[in-house]
Amino acid sequence: MNIVVCVKQVPDTTEVKINPETGTLIRAGVPSIINPYDHFALQAALELKKKHNFKVTLVSMGPPQAKSVVQLGMALGADEGILLSDMAFAGSDTWATSYALAKAIKKIGKVDMIFTGMQAIDGDTAQTGPGVAQQLGMAQITFCEHLEVDGRRIIARKLIDGGHELVEARPPVLLTMIMHKDYVPVYPSFLSVNASLKKPFHVWNAADIGAEEQYLGLKGSPTQVDRIYPPPQREKAAMFSGSGSEGAEKIMQIMKQEHFLD
Amino acid sequence: MASIDAISRNLMLDSLKEYAKRRIPFDLIRELDEKNEFPADILKEMYDPEILGVHLLMIPEEYGGISGGTFDIYRVCEALARIDLGIATGVFATFLGTDPLNVGGTEEQKDKWLRRIATEKLLVAYAATEADAGSDLINLRTRAEHVVKNGKIAGYLISGNKQWISNGGVADMYTVLAMAPGGPSWFIVERDMEGFSPNKHEDKHGIRLSNTAGLSLDNVYVPAENLIGMEEGKGLLQAQAVFGYTRVMVAAFGLGAGAEAMEHAIRYSQQRIQAGTPLCDKQGYTHKLIVPNYVHMEAARSYIEYTSLRLDGGEHGLQTEGAIAKYSASEWGNKAADDAIQALGGYGYTKDFPVEKIKRDIKITCIYEGTSEVLEMTIYRGRWQEHLKSRGKYYLDMADQLDQLHAKVPGVGAHASALALRALGAVLEECRVQKLTRHQHVTFKLGRLIAAAEVAACFSRAAAEDKYSETVRFDKQGWQAMARVMAREAALNTAMEGLALVLGAADTAGDLSDAVNIEAVQAEQKGMIADMDIVAAKLKQTFKAK
Repeated sequence: MNIVVCVKQVPDTTEVKINPETGTLIRAGVPSIINPYDHFALQAALELKKKHNFKVTLVSMGPPQAKSVVQLGMALGADEGILLSDMAFAGSDTWATSYALAKAIKKIGKVDMIFTGMQAIDGDTAQTGPGVAQQLGMAQITFCEHLEVDGRRIIARKLIDGGHELVEARPPVLLTMIMHKDYVPVYPSFLSVNASLKKPFHVWNAADIGAEEQYLGLKGSPTQVDRIYPPPQREKAAMFSGSGSEGAEKIMQIMKQEHFLD
Repeated sequence: MASIDAISRNLMLDSLKEYAKRRIPFDLIRELDEKNEFPADILKEMYDPEILGVHLLMIPEEYGGISGGTFDIYRVCEALARIDLGIATGVFATFLGTDPLNVGGTEEQKDKWLRRIATEKLLVAYAATEADAGSDLINLRTRAEHVVKNGKIAGYLISGNKQWISNGGVADMYTVLAMAPGGPSWFIVERDMEGFSPNKHEDKHGIRLSNTAGLSLDNVYVPAENLIGMEEGKGLLQAQAVFGYTRVMVAAFGLGAGAEAMEHAIRYSQQRIQAGTPLCDKQGYTHKLIVPNYVHMEAARSYIEYTSLRLDGGEHGLQTEGAIAKYSASEWGNKAADDAIQALGGYGYTKDFPVEKIKRDIKITCIYEGTSEVLEMTIYRGRWQEHLKSRGKYYLDMADQLDQLHAKVPGVGAHASALALRALGAVLEECRVQKLTRHQHVTFKLGRLIAAAEVAACFSRAAAEDKYSETVRFDKQGWQAMARVMAREAALNTAMEGLALVLGAADTAGDLSDAVNIEAVQAEQKGMIADMDIVAAKLKQTFKAK
């Protein structure tokens, strides 16, 4: 089978601060990382590759330096990498991004499985993966935590409220992955990073994938970000330790003090 | 020396950091530090080509390595130092031990030994130091005598004692400097050779995760093919050829450990509230304990990168530059770590917080690979020659260049750096005229002033670039403010201390007080506090409390 994994480079949001005056992200000096969900998705795809000898191709969209996440995937074992990079893509929302990714995947040719992370930690929309499936008219299984492939049967265990669901599909299918201990991300050795430079890597622009400019970038995006702002800070919670009854007593005391029980 | 592309380099650094996060948490480091224990399993994993393979940076691609350049190695050394300087030293010892082979080995020797180091996870040690031979290797006592068979030199019998050898007790392979009949020479000695034995592991002040031991060699027979370069007498040249480069690595250790200590303090200072406001908002705290140190760390970084890129560009030697890089980064890193303890107050003084260990560890960077005092002498000697050769123009020309830079980019302290360089040129000239370099103190102090002025000038140049290095975590406003703070301080110190130095050694300072231009240097101090405020704010923004 042929697998495509979509990966995104994101700012390490644990390091990002918002400028309270302008409402914009302060990006200076903030390191970029692979979207953690995508790293799990990549790991899932590589496990299948190891077991069944599938071919894994990576696709990312972003500025030239986003090559980093593609090369990371190749260093970990993916066979080939593609970076969609073009000023025309800049400012794309989830719809325009799905459109471009779908166009690129069509160009790749016969694809049996597409992996994406459940969502990216910068936008947190969880729309791009499903959007790609929709654009390609392909089945999708979201929130997957584990996968088995048996011949042409793909069995996904997905997380649902209060439990799990086993879903079976035939290729082609798109899967969005959550973070689960079965696919804990690993990092490549220095030698693998060096060797990954010899793997096929392509940069495609809008024309290469036959994408129409009117569907790309800000112009092609039906949604626009109005404002970004940090949520108001909550007051610190008081934490108590000790047995249940001790805790209850302390809470009662405070509720009395604060006149909740008057 | 070529270097690896930036994306690959940063992926390697990510792998190293992730490995450390997972495998070497602070609790473990603290336990090993207390037990004075070398983590052999961790080092083996770091050398495992399947897991990390950090040592492959030192080995050319044709022998199974990845041909890292100086810039790559500086980046990895900084990252290692931020993890633990003892572990960093264990890796560094292999780098160092591999050097004589890289520099002087024959094709066959490289093919055999470098390939083995690459694939067999060999820990290597570099054994030069002896009881009476440290920076001065002339007094080498370890002897290598010919063993002649059928009229040919079949091998050598090596006898002597080495001391303070990093990885001494744990290495698989040693490059040993010994006096052969033809002069000092490097030999490859394997751990299991008869007559070879490591002594006890030293109980050290810091870098306690690094194994340090003496070596005893009692008639160790080494085949002739283990003489590096297959020619006697090349040992000292082979050792000196890489000083520029190896000192950049130790400079990166000082930078990494010093900056790490500072960053702990900066994060802490945002949470510690005293008299109603956090410490990070008090000038009495930041402008004494944090800002000057971090400015010097970033200044040293710019100098390390400048030297690395020159070495990677194919220049050889750069001994003076390597010395300036190491001297600046290690002396200021040591001070930064000391101030980090002060900045954390009572917490800083306990072993529960990492700064206490960093302070003990970092002291070694002022000692190994040339003590700070040996470096002061090295720096003085190198630049004194330039001063004489150029008939006093060396620093005046450099100052002109900085003033030209100031005309183009006024906000990077280039004019203050020019003042520092001019004052330095004047002080050197006065020392020449009055023959003051007969005082050793004068020469060493000149070494210190030279380092400060050159690093300030280098920082001004780097801060004026359109695009900053991948390592800079600050925007233009922040980095330029740091460069200005650094340059003002350098101008003031060079002028005042230079003048005081001459006055202390001679009857008169002649026209020196005009020549160092005290008035201009003082006028240049305007805006210092506002710039320190900017730096303090940028540091808080960049290293926010966890």
